Amino acid sequence: MARIGVFICHCGENISATVDCEKVAKVASEFPGVTVSVDYKYMCSDPGQNMVKEAILEHNLTGVVVSACSPRMHEPTFRNACAEAGLNPFLCEMANIREHCSWVHEKSDATTDKAIDIVRTLVEKVKRNEALAPIYVPITKTAVVIGGGVAGIQASLDIADAGHKVVLVEREPSIGGHMSQLSETFPTLDCSQCILTPRMVDVARHPNITLYTYAEIESVDGSIGNFNVKIRLKSKSLDEKLCTGCGACIQKCPVKKIPSEFEQGLGKRTAIYVPFPQAVPNKPVIDRVNCTYYIKGKCKVCEIVCPTKAIRFDQEDSFVEVQAGALLLATGFDVLKTNFFPEYGYGKYEDVIDGLAFERLASASGPTKGEIRRPSDGEIPKKIVFIACAGSRDPAKGIEYCSKICCMYTAKHAMLYKHKVHEGTPYIFYMDIRATGKMYEEFVRRAIEEDEVKYIRGRVSQVYEKNGKLIVRGVDTLLMGQAVEIEADMVVLATAGIASPGSEELAQKLHVSYDKHKFFSEAHPKLKPVETNTAGIYLAGACQSTKDIPETVAAASGAAAKIAGLFSNDLLKRDPLIAVVKKCAPPLYSSCTGCFMCIPVCPYQAIDKEEIKDRSGNIIKTISHINPGLCQGCGTCVAFCKSKSIDILGYNHDQVCAEVEALLNEW
Amino acid sequence: MNNLQQKAQQLLESGNYGLIVGYEKGTSGKARPVFIRKAEHASKLIFDESCDQNIAVYLYRQEIKHNKKKVIVANHHTLKSIVELAAENQVFDGDFMVLAFAENGDIIELNTFEEIEKHVATLYHGLTEAEAAMMKKIEDMSLEDRWAFWENEFSKCIKCYACRASCPMCYCPTCTVEINQPQWISVPSHTLGNLEWHVMRAMHLAGRCVTCGQCGKACPLELPIQLLTYKVALDSKQFFDSVAGTSICADNALAIFKPEDHENFIR
Repeated sequence: MARIGVFICHCGENISATVDCEKVAKVASEFPGVTVSVDYKYMCSDPGQNMVKEAILEHNLTGVVVSACSPRMHEPTFRNACAEAGLNPFLCEMANIREHCSWVHEKSDATTDKAIDIVRTLVEKVKRNEALAPIYVPITKTAVVIGGGVAGIQASLDIADAGHKVVLVEREPSIGGHMSQLSETFPTLDCSQCILTPRMVDVARHPNITLYTYAEIESVDGSIGNFNVKIRLKSKSLDEKLCTGCGACIQKCPVKKIPSEFEQGLGKRTAIYVPFPQAVPNKPVIDRVNCTYYIKGKCKVCEIVCPTKAIRFDQEDSFVEVQAGALLLATGFDVLKTNFFPEYGYGKYEDVIDGLAFERLASASGPTKGEIRRPSDGEIPKKIVFIACAGSRDPAKGIEYCSKICCMYTAKHAMLYKHKVHEGTPYIFYMDIRATGKMYEEFVRRAIEEDEVKYIRGRVSQVYEKNGKLIVRGVDTLLMGQAVEIEADMVVLATAGIASPGSEELAQKLHVSYDKHKFFSEAHPKLKPVETNTAGIYLAGACQSTKDIPETVAAASGAAAKIAGLFSNDLLKRDPLIAVVKKCAPPLYSSCTGCFMCIPVCPYQAIDKEEIKDRSGNIIKTISHINPGLCQGCGTCVAFCKSKSIDILGYNHDQVCAEVEALLNEW
Repeated sequence: MNNLQQKAQQLLESGNYGLIVGYEKGTSGKARPVFIRKAEHASKLIFDESCDQNIAVYLYRQEIKHNKKKVIVANHHTLKSIVELAAENQVFDGDFMVLAFAENGDIIELNTFEEIEKHVATLYHGLTEAEAAMMKKIEDMSLEDRWAFWENEFSKCIKCYACRASCPMCYCPTCTVEINQPQWISVPSHTLGNLEWHVMRAMHLAGRCVTCGQCGKACPLELPIQLLTYKVALDSKQFFDSVAGTSICADNALAIFKPEDHENFIR
């Protein structure tokens, strides 16, 4: 015989302002099977929880309905309270009369009646609840970090230093990401390479880190604690064990005119190449699109000159599978190319470049050895116009957001230019100056006051070429909208930061959500900034939204701390609200027909086949089996199963049907 | 004796096969299924225009399921159903041989699922002209008229479940309607409950119906219930390019997701 306790919460006035809680409690006390029904101002408070516990002990309750807020809010609170009083926590249910009732309706009898209906459905459900025990699944204490920029590097080192294994996967031939391309960094103007490259070396040397460069994620199965990650190792056409990184092949490669991706096209590279001299690993790959051998079928100069015979022209892509407990997305960002801007010449003017290209011009290791020379003729520009918000904050261009890093790096660019070309004049067209980090505002002031950077508040309508000069036409909104025309030698566009190419495909492979700009979405904008909505998959850095280096590193360490926290337990405790295939007595054994159409339906790859055998080992029947470690209890298979052979524990057919009947039937 | 009968006799006499499922002459010009176990009965077998029943339904029947020496004489509906049953793991490769017919009447032996799948690819998949005309007639009705039409049809249904028994794809040992803990679908026959049953049946056959129309042929009240499953079959084709009975891979439209699926609202 059921003895159900109903506890109606006023939630201060959140519920009682529109729902007559006393009446709900009184009516509920008359429901069949309800032994005790009370209302209280704050059920989640200590005295409120004590009311629940005492009632369980006094009335020997077989089930509890707490009629209050959403289960997402306080279900764990009350389930714990029940457990403390000796009642199985899964015999406690929340009837949500706040979000589903009091908050969305006016005060009226109908609102109270709806609250009563909600309570009644949960009473009928809880009568059919069964005591359940949590599931413990082992955690594989390995993290796969996707992306080897500064975020991936920092997170990998942090996780590895915490004593856990890390597999770092990088798409390019070297780790380092965009940070390795930068010249100096704001607000301190310390050299980017000088602070990054030691970390890159640490990654390569760390005993807990396995580094796969020139590799991409092929597929991901499983779930938190136990992911199975398949990684494609793109062919480098090289036996890495034999290669010593001597560079003889690079020197002799006859194809020398390929625009270097690392140098933003300002420098050239060979077909067999390392992206930059400080690359980690410092071993070359062959770019098969441009290599003469792969185009014409002959050349093989690199193979001839290689002293260790490490070149492998017939090498194919290979795959490794990694078992991992957590995944970290740190795939970074990209910048819009200058050809996105018709008003600035569609990228056809060589001397209109983006910010990343300017970084290479200003970098001591760049194509000009750190001298600011314009790409078209190598002259030192006398006037440079920097245009901030090129694309960003421009709904007409489809990018409403602020790219956040441009104000600062533009100030830095102007400053670096002035430091290197003393007689030069930097102009910056800007909308607002957003310098909100530590020492950032001071940095911008320094640019304006000490380095005499000319800030012009206004937009640039057009850039065109005339007599070898770039004419920049804009407006100065601080001079009542007066038109401004500057004859510049070079123009630098602070183009918007955008999601890294391939982000969408990766998000779909990993089942993580992303926004309309293809940046990955965090689980909560404030309280869960480094988690995704998929348990066990974390985020760091500019793949979430454009971030500067301090923010990226902070996020990476935050995500690493989350992963290390997850790995600090040997077992992961999970609610047992999972799907099970129903079984019954012979000769049927199970109503499951073994059509296995639930297998492709399952988003978590949690379903496999189970053979039912007789005592001599003959197979009687093959039916579906749900792996309790992988099942997330989403219920897709339940809805799909035609013979209704699958149930979700805690939400079985009987319970759901009872709820529906309680709502529909006259009472 | 014709080719088929001779072939059947040889197969049974060889001892490699012990059972032939096929058609024999029935009453009033109709064919009916027959199970031949002895060579001397092979002369009962016929195969002509009248053999339009889908007899794939017998392949997984408990009585003959485990007989690995069986042969089935298959019309094109039966062939498609065998492919769909194979995709759903209800029949197994090598458990039976299929005798199909080329256009000129020659007998084709199909031993493996691969051979069956290849042969089925040469067949016509779609509704006959008469069936398509019936579909069009109903689709052209206004919503109210269509509702009235089906309400009238369902009011006549006696829930004998002949449609279910005749359908090769209705192989669940415990059908949803027989599950009474809880009782999701009402047992007695009344218009709304009958509608519930037929809509459920159509949805369970979404992407699985091979449009053989056997359910409609089996209905003792001659309700055009095959049109319901045809509709979902046509929709699967239109929206997801999925045609049941063409592939032994389980690629049911409702079971899989493809990024190019016709579901813009998801993204």
